Amino acid sequence: MPRKVEPGDLLLAMLVLAPLAMAGPRLSGLQGEGVVWLLALAGRITGVLGLAALLVTAAMCVRLPGLDRWFGGLPRLWLLHRHLGFSAFILILGHVLLLSFAALPLSLEQALRVLFPPLSYAPIWAGWLALAALIGALAPTFQVSGIHYQRWKRQHLLSAAALLLALLHALPVSPERAAWWLLSLLALAAIAWRKLLAPVLARREYRVAQVTRLAADVVEISLVPKHKGIVHSAGQFIYLTPQDPSLGAGCAEEHPFTITSAPGAAELKLGIKALGDASLALQALTPGSRVQVEGPYGQFFARRAPQRKQLWLGGGIGITPFVSAARYLAERPDQFTHVVLFYLANRPERAYYHDELERIASAHEQLSLSIHYFSCCGPLSEAFLREHCPDFAERELYICGPPAMLEYLHGLLATAGVDRAFIHTEAFDFL
Amino acid sequence: MSLNKIAYTALVAFFSVVLTLLATGLLMGRSTEPATTADTLRPIGAEELATHNHRDSCWKAIDGKVYDVTSYLPEHPGDEALTLDWCGKDASAAWHNKRPGQAHSANAALLLQSYLIGQFASATAAAPPRQVLTTPQGTTGTSSRPSAKVLLGLAPGTYLDGIYRGHFSDRGEMQVSLQFSLREHRMHDIELRYLAYAGVDYLKLTEEHPAYPVLLQYRQSIAHLEGQPLANLFDLYEPGKVVDDIDAFSGATLRASKVISAVRDALNRGVYQWQ
Repeated sequence: MPRKVEPGDLLLAMLVLAPLAMAGPRLSGLQGEGVVWLLALAGRITGVLGLAALLVTAAMCVRLPGLDRWFGGLPRLWLLHRHLGFSAFILILGHVLLLSFAALPLSLEQALRVLFPPLSYAPIWAGWLALAALIGALAPTFQVSGIHYQRWKRQHLLSAAALLLALLHALPVSPERAAWWLLSLLALAAIAWRKLLAPVLARREYRVAQVTRLAADVVEISLVPKHKGIVHSAGQFIYLTPQDPSLGAGCAEEHPFTITSAPGAAELKLGIKALGDASLALQALTPGSRVQVEGPYGQFFARRAPQRKQLWLGGGIGITPFVSAARYLAERPDQFTHVVLFYLANRPERAYYHDELERIASAHEQLSLSIHYFSCCGPLSEAFLREHCPDFAERELYICGPPAMLEYLHGLLATAGVDRAFIHTEAFDFL
Repeated sequence: MSLNKIAYTALVAFFSVVLTLLATGLLMGRSTEPATTADTLRPIGAEELATHNHRDSCWKAIDGKVYDVTSYLPEHPGDEALTLDWCGKDASAAWHNKRPGQAHSANAALLLQSYLIGQFASATAAAPPRQVLTTPQGTTGTSSRPSAKVLLGLAPGTYLDGIYRGHFSDRGEMQVSLQFSLREHRMHDIELRYLAYAGVDYLKLTEEHPAYPVLLQYRQSIAHLEGQPLANLFDLYEPGKVVDDIDAFSGATLRASKVISAVRDALNRGVYQWQ
């Protein structure tokens, strides 16, 4: 995750801290002394922070083209969503235990009564139900094996129930009403937009013009807008909802795909590899069928040092943002500094965009292309990198590919002394 | 370690701690319910309460219950002298006004329950314990009598637990005499000690006697009150909902009123015998 602080981060921090700031006078007046006082205070602080973080996390599920740039792109926003959500979860677990521990010096019985009061103490039991719903909403992430994307999305909606129950738990005992109402409103509006309004209002109609097979499990589909199309920049992605009833799976389900066409091109092109049921079915998408497009999102090619030359490292289907950028370079070379592109493929027949990229590289001196095959030479070595791009440490680096590749390259580049601030990455994982 | 694993580990640790607390609580043989429940509460009078008025033994009466808060005194936040001041007294007012107009929290109320030792039995007690008033179904809205709550409010005083005896006399003779045991404002073991009208001893009637259904109506009235809160006494103002109109025998209203009168007489007389 980029270490740079984005403007939106400050807004999020303010929202998370607002209820605690309001509760400050109340909490500082908490009476008692010693460990018991400390535990009771910590129990309350974790409760207030936990609920605030939970509500802000929910508000962050909103997906608005353009808005995600405040947060450094949608993938980063959702990384933040994930971090804040898990933090809220851990804070809430702490909240429960700390308050119970605060009563432990009195008696074990009292500590248990804080946890499990008589049934008439409804707010406490609403809190337990909220926790149960939250565990349900997070449960798929706890399993070790793969996660079914659509099932995960459905089950994650349980978090909306967790929010409502958590409010029932907190509103009767916490006087910071204004802050809670503000955050709840943001959270519920975000969920309502995302689940109810966006599917109707934010999707644009396209028609499938062409489906080009690039490899046994990779296609590039070309889309033509029915009315007005989206305006994107290189490296962005969209959510595609096919409305083709003849599809074997995933009809009317949305999935994210990277744009491979150059910005401003007449047709919107997407490179799609069969990674799951839905993307496998898309390999047989019927030309002429209807699809919906929501986006664009992300800002992979954000510049941190515009004067620097660039180094692109694309692995497998992670080559797609670079295809879009290379196609743009072919049209508008004036927009680019010098670029070295490393195409990291398993073997020659898996380098499906190689021919086109080589054509662009030979026609434009701004782009140099190097290809590296895993099957013959193992993972990319520093020697190979230095041989084909001696000044790689002075460039701004963009890496896209599977998570294992990103991890490996980060290690390699760190060893080679590349400043992490100049590395941009995008993992193809869970978006 | 990934975030998922951290969260999952935290969850497992969380449940381990909660289960350990629960298991320890159960294995140490202490239930999570208050040790003393309302049924077994010992009555504690104002004199006894007043002897526990110091730091080494501090009892307080709050809303009709007595709590031994001695062991909690060192933990209690706030002004110690003020807290000690209420030892041995009815501290309801202080409880409901931690600061003026602000009562103690729900958490504090939970905590207080663990110190419960008895029922405050004093003629000067602030108020009888709050009780749920039950009214027979169908009486709401259509009833001509005032609500049981109002009627009970009109009755004087707070009734201590004990055995009560009361009578109804009219036309120069005792007609109804009954006895009941009052516990927590509920009537138990109600028994007709004497029942007569126009010189006939109804308790000695046989089933063949034409007035026998009258005795049955009395018995039904009394059975209706068994174990009920005092307020339910006033159900008898509408005996049609309480007794069967056996053999179309009328006069049930009259007889039920006599039972009400005898019970109220018993209450006015005060405790006949301590249990």
